[in-house]
Amino acid sequence: MNKWYASLGKEADTVVSTRIRLARNLAGIPFPSRMTAEQRRQVNEQVRDALFADTTLGKQFKYLEMETLPDITAEAMVERHLISPAFAARREGKALLLSEDESVSIMLCEEDHIRIQVMEAGLAPEEAYRTANAIDDALSARLTYAFDERLGYLTECPTNLGTGLRASLMLHLPALEASGGINRLAATVSKIGMTVRGTYGEGTKPVAALYQVSNQVTLGISEEAAIENLRAIAAQAIQQERALRSSLDPDGIEDAAYRALGTLKFARAVTSQEFMELISQVRLGVAMGVIKDLPLATVEELMISAGPASIQAAEGKPLDPAERDKARAKLARERL
Amino acid sequence: MLCEKCGKNVATTHIKTSINGVVESHHLCADCARLSHAVQNQFGLSDLLGTFFGEGVKTVPYADKRKRCPGCGSCFDDIVASGRVGCGQCYETFLEQLLPSLQRMHGKAVHAGKRPRAEEAAPTRESELEALKEQLRAAVNAEQFEEAAALRDRIHAMEEEGKDHE
Repeated sequence: MNKWYASLGKEADTVVSTRIRLARNLAGIPFPSRMTAEQRRQVNEQVRDALFADTTLGKQFKYLEMETLPDITAEAMVERHLISPAFAARREGKALLLSEDESVSIMLCEEDHIRIQVMEAGLAPEEAYRTANAIDDALSARLTYAFDERLGYLTECPTNLGTGLRASLMLHLPALEASGGINRLAATVSKIGMTVRGTYGEGTKPVAALYQVSNQVTLGISEEAAIENLRAIAAQAIQQERALRSSLDPDGIEDAAYRALGTLKFARAVTSQEFMELISQVRLGVAMGVIKDLPLATVEELMISAGPASIQAAEGKPLDPAERDKARAKLARERL
Repeated sequence: MLCEKCGKNVATTHIKTSINGVVESHHLCADCARLSHAVQNQFGLSDLLGTFFGEGVKTVPYADKRKRCPGCGSCFDDIVASGRVGCGQCYETFLEQLLPSLQRMHGKAVHAGKRPRAEEAAPTRESELEALKEQLRAAVNAEQFEEAAALRDRIHAMEEEGKDHE
C-alpha cells in the first residue's frame, strides 16, 4: 500500500503536510510518569483491544511493542514523524498502533496514555481532524477517559488540557526565510495562541526552510476554532511566500534549482544536511514550475526517506556516516 | 559585581546550581548568560511550568502544602518540581492552586470543546452557571471589567430565571 506521503495534497507548493494530534488518558490510572510497569501493560492492552473491537477501524492497524523494535527502526519512525523522539529513546513499556499507510499512529504511554496522530499530505486540517475524531469516538465508546466538565480532557502536561488537540502544518518557506520574514510570521501567530517551531518540533532548528506552525492554546477554545485559526495563519503564510517567490529573479531560481538537482543526480556521497539544503532548492524549483519533468510527490518521498536512520533501515544494516552518505547519494540518483 | 566570565559588564544574572549536593554560584552579565549553557538548560518546559505553578504556591496555606492526591499520592510540590501532573484526580485535588497557572497558559480556564460519548449530555444549568462564574473570576483577575460586568449580568439573569422555575 502506498504511504500517505507518496501522494500530493492541497497547496503543496508551500504546505508539505498537516498533522492532528489528540491527547487522551484513561480515568483512574496515573499519568505515564507515575505509572508502574503493570499499569503500562494494562493501558496498552486495553487501548489495543478497544481499537481492534471496532470492526472497520481495527483491521487497518497493527500493534507494535516498542521495546521489541531495533533502534534503527524506531529512529526511522521519528524521521517519518510517526513517533516523538522521546518515545523512540525510551521504549520500555510503550506501544504503537500504526495504520498500514502510516497516516495514523497511536502512541501508547508516551506523555499521555493515548496520543492519536493523523498525518495528511498538503493542507488538510479538517480531513485529518475528522479521521482523528472517528478514532477517538471508537476508543471512547469502549474506554472511560479522564475528563472534567470544566477542564476538558485531562492531560499530564497542563498545556494540553481541554481539547488535547495540537493541529500543525509543516510549511516550506524558503522565500520568506531568505527575506527575514519568519520572525514577523512568528509574532503574528503568537497573537492568536499559536506558535512557529523548527522542523522536528519544540526546540529544534529549521532544516531546509521547513517550519511547523501549530496551536498553543487548548483550553477555552473549540477544536473547530483552533483549526480555523490554523487555516487563517496558513492562508497568510502561503500568500506571503508566493508573493515573495514571484518577486525573485526567475533565472536565479532556475539556476539554483538545476544546480541542486544536478548535484543530487550525480554526487557519490551526500551528508544529511547537504541533502536537505539541496532538496529544498529542488522542491522550490519544482513547486514554481521551473523544473518540469519531476513530480513534487517524488521530492516529498525522497525528503522523508533520506534521514540517517531511514537510510540504514532501508539498507537493512547499521552503516557508519561515510557509508550512509554514499547510500543517500545512491538513493537520490535512483529516485531522480 | 562584574561578570565572572567577561569581567567587563555588570553581573545581572545570578545562577545557583545544586548537582549531587555540590552547590555552585555563578554571576554573569546578560550577554554571557545568554551564551551560557547553564541558562539554556534551566529554561526547559518543565521549569517554565514550575515557575507557572510556583507563583500559585505563595497563596497556598501551609496545611494545604502537605495535602496529597488520593489518586496517585502526589503533593503539589511534586507537580511544581516536575511540571507534570500525576493523575486526573490531581486536577480536582489541587484545582485552586492550579487555576491561576492554567489561566496564564490558556487565557480561559473553561473547556469549550468536545466531550466524550458517555458524557455527551448537554451542560446543565448548574454547570453553565458555574462556568460563567469561573469566567467572571478570570475577568476580574485580568482586570477586564467590561467583560466582567457583562458576565455578572448574565449570571444574575440566569439566577433570576432559576428562581422563577422553582
